[in-house]
Amino acid sequence: MAELLRMIALSPTMSEGRISKWKINEGTEFSSGDVLCEVETDKASMDYEAPQSASLLKILLQAGETANVGDPIAVIGQKGEDYAPLLKGIGPEEGSASKVHEPERPAENVKQEPPSAATQPIEVGGSQRSPKPAAEATAQLSQQLTAEPAAQPAQRSPKPAVEPAAQPLQQPAAKDAKSLPRKTPQAPARLPPSSPLARKLALEKGIDIRLVPGSGPGGRVIEHDILEFEKGMKGTVLFPGAGTAEPAPSELRREPAIIQPSMKRLVIARRLSESFFTAPHYYLKKKIRAEALLALRATANAARPTKLSFNAFLVKIVAEALVRHPEINVYWRTPGATGAGIAGVGAAGAAAPGAAKETAGRPTAMSSSTVASALHPVLEQRHSIDIGLAVALPDGLITPVVRDCNLKSVSEIDAELVQLIEKARAGRLAPQEYEGAGFTISSLGSFGIDEFTAIINPPGSAILAVGAIVKEPVVDDGDIISVAQTLSLTLGCDHRSIDGAVGAVFLADLAAMLENPAMALV
Amino acid sequence: MPELTYREALNRAMDEEMARDEKVFLIGEEVGEYDGAYKVSRGLLAKYGPKRVRDTPISELGFTGLGVGAAIAGLRPVVEWMTHNFALLAVDQVVNNAAKLRQMSGGQISVPIVFRGPNGPAEFLAAQHSQSLGGFWMHVPGLKVVAPATPSDAYGLLKSAIRDDNPVVMLEAELMYPWKGEVSEQEFLVPIGKARIAREGEDVTLITYSKPIRMVEEAAERLAEKGVRAEVIDLRSLRPLDEETVVHSVRKTGRCVVIDEAWPMASPGVTVAQLVNSRCFDVLDAPVELVSGEDVPMPYNHTLELAAQPSVEKVIAAVGRVLYREDL
Repeated sequence: MAELLRMIALSPTMSEGRISKWKINEGTEFSSGDVLCEVETDKASMDYEAPQSASLLKILLQAGETANVGDPIAVIGQKGEDYAPLLKGIGPEEGSASKVHEPERPAENVKQEPPSAATQPIEVGGSQRSPKPAAEATAQLSQQLTAEPAAQPAQRSPKPAVEPAAQPLQQPAAKDAKSLPRKTPQAPARLPPSSPLARKLALEKGIDIRLVPGSGPGGRVIEHDILEFEKGMKGTVLFPGAGTAEPAPSELRREPAIIQPSMKRLVIARRLSESFFTAPHYYLKKKIRAEALLALRATANAARPTKLSFNAFLVKIVAEALVRHPEINVYWRTPGATGAGIAGVGAAGAAAPGAAKETAGRPTAMSSSTVASALHPVLEQRHSIDIGLAVALPDGLITPVVRDCNLKSVSEIDAELVQLIEKARAGRLAPQEYEGAGFTISSLGSFGIDEFTAIINPPGSAILAVGAIVKEPVVDDGDIISVAQTLSLTLGCDHRSIDGAVGAVFLADLAAMLENPAMALV
Repeated sequence: MPELTYREALNRAMDEEMARDEKVFLIGEEVGEYDGAYKVSRGLLAKYGPKRVRDTPISELGFTGLGVGAAIAGLRPVVEWMTHNFALLAVDQVVNNAAKLRQMSGGQISVPIVFRGPNGPAEFLAAQHSQSLGGFWMHVPGLKVVAPATPSDAYGLLKSAIRDDNPVVMLEAELMYPWKGEVSEQEFLVPIGKARIAREGEDVTLITYSKPIRMVEEAAERLAEKGVRAEVIDLRSLRPLDEETVVHSVRKTGRCVVIDEAWPMASPGVTVAQLVNSRCFDVLDAPVELVSGEDVPMPYNHTLELAAQPSVEKVIAAVGRVLYREDL
């Protein structure tokens, strides 16, 4: 029987995905596990694997288009089947999902609503698969994620959502989508009127037609508008040295070009804004001498064919400091905070101590305290030491996570970092490889930055900003001035979960261990 | 290449086909002694005699039926209607006999006949004689309908029509008869069902047939002065319709204006517009525009008569709408 294939959550934080490419054509048969399409999620490009064997009858969401999790993206079934009734049943959105926001409605009520297809609009040009203005999309994205704590109880299944193949075809995804508010009430997301040619051109040129001002009757976006918009885009240099466009006429330069942010950029913007504007940040600075650490690295590397990175040592020693200061390895979860969608990380360890490796970073069963977090803030105490390392990529930052750093050797950490960074550069990091860092290290030393402050990466409460190793005059205990290799550390903390004195003790201990790595062993 | 008028081209075609095949004969009002109401058959009676050029009473249903019967019996009649307005009297013979018999006889009977005469508004002829009725014929499966707009096409299509084993209705126009154009001295045929690109362009496709072609070409010229490169398609055949030429052009330009003298309801123009909508939807930058005759019986008042028909100004305005340009 023909059925709707829906967008599923390919990463824990994914609330919508953009099809970057269909791997098979309409009318093609596929087997369970075949890759149907590539989906650009908030952070990576993921393969959407067939949940069953069937034929692709109809593509509902074309390459380049975006759908919320739970929205239909295709019709599958047996060849030649009449699937028209299936599409008819999909009416316009009823807006019931937004009720999640009403405080008097417990989350349970939401999940009891039958996952009726009637709330999954797919009409051509319809609200859900249609792109929305960027600002609105961002707002919506954040609003959707805001509701996640309330939505979590619906996900009691131990099955991780990150394994598409293991997920039943529609139900969980549909439930997820049902329990997410999908629309700001005052702003129905609709495509602007546009000519078919304009839509086709926009798709080909990768232009978000929502951003293009329409000059036709009733604001219809026409070919001319797309071409003008494209000219405007060409006039803008996104990255210095990324190839300069022909100089545009001065009139075009007067108006700023509008660039559609990537999904990844939208997520970075949302998460960091949320972190910076909700977590009261304070910063502690400490300058350390790096000679001992450099010497340790040199000694270790002398006997090795491949060199261990400085970062690997840094991660290991930070992990040791965190073992001694579990009060830093926490997360202040507020009602409505996304926690980067890594809900349940704190609870995961509690449920299965020692098995953190399997569960960390994946949405899992929520403990009762986390359920309560839907109503008031809770402090989540992590049991595993999972450290993220910020990696700059041309299209935006990503933070691969090394799990259980306290249980790994420097060389193990180094090997993992190499692999993760390579994957990150290829855009193929799996969600469990970048989500759920309890502590993050960001280093701009390679850019020659002396010291800087960083924004906390949820679900952590602290971030360590590491500057460049520089030679500086230092005064020793005997008031003798000498030249030393120094390194600036800046610890950013969330004051809600880490008081200044607590942060200070941690940083002091960390600094001592970095200056004298032997301390990490004892 | 010698220039011929449209009427001379038709005359030459009939002359050559009558000389080539003795089964071909001409029948209609005033086609013999008077040399044709519009002098299209000039000299044919003298050349081929009264057996092959037959004057008839004023009885369209009668002589049209006679033609159909002769065709069934194996001759190749050319039935001249003084105008298509009068042919309304003969609709039953054309629609119910000529168009149906091949199918209803399981292919045993063919009706190789040509119905031809002027169609569409001329001037000062008022409501009953100023009608573009191509759609009446185009509507009917079993008929072929051609509408040449140049002397060359009139010659080549009439010859093809006479040689065709199916009933073919030919739309001419009173005002086109004196039009001059080059016609090759060499004998040639113009295939039925093949449109002609009268002018190449990139920005908008103007589609028409029959008499409006010159008006549309003038509009294209005026548009060119304003930097709009219009492509003009002369359909030449309404049935079968040359979909590929139309679709190819609109896929290139993304904009389409159909110009048709007929009324806008259920007309050849809307059929073409529907074709474009269904086959070119993804490339259209604007809805297809139809410039048609106004939806009224033709007024006799000359100012109103002109206002009720497509014009250069109306075409340019429609092009302005599909190009979203108010400066045209």
